[in-house]
Amino acid sequence: MPVTYEQVKAVAAQLYGSALKKVPEDTKAALVSAHAAETSAVARSVLSMMIASARRAEEADRHLCSDAGIPTYFVKIGTAVTLQGNIRQAISDGFDHLVATVQPPILKHVTNPLTLERGHKGRSMPLVSFDLVDGADYLEITCSPKGLGAGRWAALEIFSFPTLDVIERYVMDCVLKAGSQHCPPVVIGVGIGGTFDYCAKLAKQASLRPFGQTNPEPILADMEARLLEAVNKTGFGPMGTGGDTTALAVHVDYAASHGFIPVAVCFNCWINRRAGARLYEDGRIETFE
Amino acid sequence: MSDIKSLVLPLTEASVRTLRAGDLVTLNGDITITAGLPTHRRIVEYMEAGRPLPIDITEDTLFHLGSYSEETDGRFDVLYMNPTTSTRFNSLMPGLIRHYRLRMVGGKGGLDMASTAAMKEVGCVYLSFLGGGCALLSDAIVSVVAVAWDDLISHYRLVRLRVADLGPLVVGIDSHGNSIFEQCSRTAEERLPEIVKALDEGRARRTV
Repeated sequence: MPVTYEQVKAVAAQLYGSALKKVPEDTKAALVSAHAAETSAVARSVLSMMIASARRAEEADRHLCSDAGIPTYFVKIGTAVTLQGNIRQAISDGFDHLVATVQPPILKHVTNPLTLERGHKGRSMPLVSFDLVDGADYLEITCSPKGLGAGRWAALEIFSFPTLDVIERYVMDCVLKAGSQHCPPVVIGVGIGGTFDYCAKLAKQASLRPFGQTNPEPILADMEARLLEAVNKTGFGPMGTGGDTTALAVHVDYAASHGFIPVAVCFNCWINRRAGARLYEDGRIETFE
Repeated sequence: MSDIKSLVLPLTEASVRTLRAGDLVTLNGDITITAGLPTHRRIVEYMEAGRPLPIDITEDTLFHLGSYSEETDGRFDVLYMNPTTSTRFNSLMPGLIRHYRLRMVGGKGGLDMASTAAMKEVGCVYLSFLGGGCALLSDAIVSVVAVAWDDLISHYRLVRLRVADLGPLVVGIDSHGNSIFEQCSRTAEERLPEIVKALDEGRARRTV
């Protein structure tokens, strides 16, 4: 039995809802560890409130943030899975269904960039991108709604044959520019290489990586550890009111490039919205964070 | 430091001036909120035309909090509220702080030094609310006092709420010219050369 329009629509709605209301388990655990390690009393108070807020949103089935963000879905299609119906439409209809039914209702954040009018719908919304996974027998959907607070501070610059110190310095410049603004502690996604468009996607997808996985590229594993330490030495702290915890993780990915080498940096705020599911032909749906 | 001051609104200038950057406070009483740039522009228009606002904010509060309000049977209910980025309003806030002699402003991320100067002049503090704190912050709503400018989308409306134990909130900028946000940026800038040096040394150790 193929994966159907109806299944995809239901999953697209459910993932968005869950991203709005639940902080991923690894992120909650990282906040608890950060709280234990913090030396600033104000920062500990802010982290306590974050932990309590995550718990309260789950218990009461409420939104974590009033900014429901713009709907963003990443879809990976296994080449061994059969699909039935209009899958892009299913995602779009799933989002519309969520808007129509979610309690409490969400605010209008989808903005026409030409007129600044806001609503729940708009051109190219939801933003959906597709990849193929050779041999996989599932359709994978990840939803990561992006709000203004953190979304605004992503940046990309194109360098010519940059050495690693230039790349790392650029990441630090982006961190200092974002400062107290992006609802820290954040997850930082960094993309290196590819082209302008490909690099931005690398960064975003890196930011969605679960915590605790070691980067298979040794140069990047080392860079991630050093950058995390460096970012946390800046002192911006939780909500930018000072402390030792400005980032929970730095995740870097790369692609081969030309001599012009883009570096992209993006931030997920502390609620680290990400919710995913794999849909199989036998009707199984496995969710992940 | 971790003592939380429970404040009853409205505050006098003298009591606002006792607050220091880094204090933790909770609020009890009536607050006015909006998350809209068009709303701020409209307030400025009213201010310049000498027209009274539908909700008076003189010597009162104006917080950058968005809320979901809906009207049923002629009365408004507010389902939730949460802070938005205050620096978006940097250019408009000094004028509003001075004209209305605001006692408390706030949201998340702070305001710039022009606002900090205006706050020092009139006796006003900036409170930092937890972004992503929607569930907790909304629990503090006791009742809806007024919803004005409902021609605007929900989070742009000017909303007055009665709250109890709202917080804890961090005094991010006090009325003596101290801004935690500015301090954090300055500290980070000062530390950057050391931070970059450590990054370089760490990289060099790996490649040896």
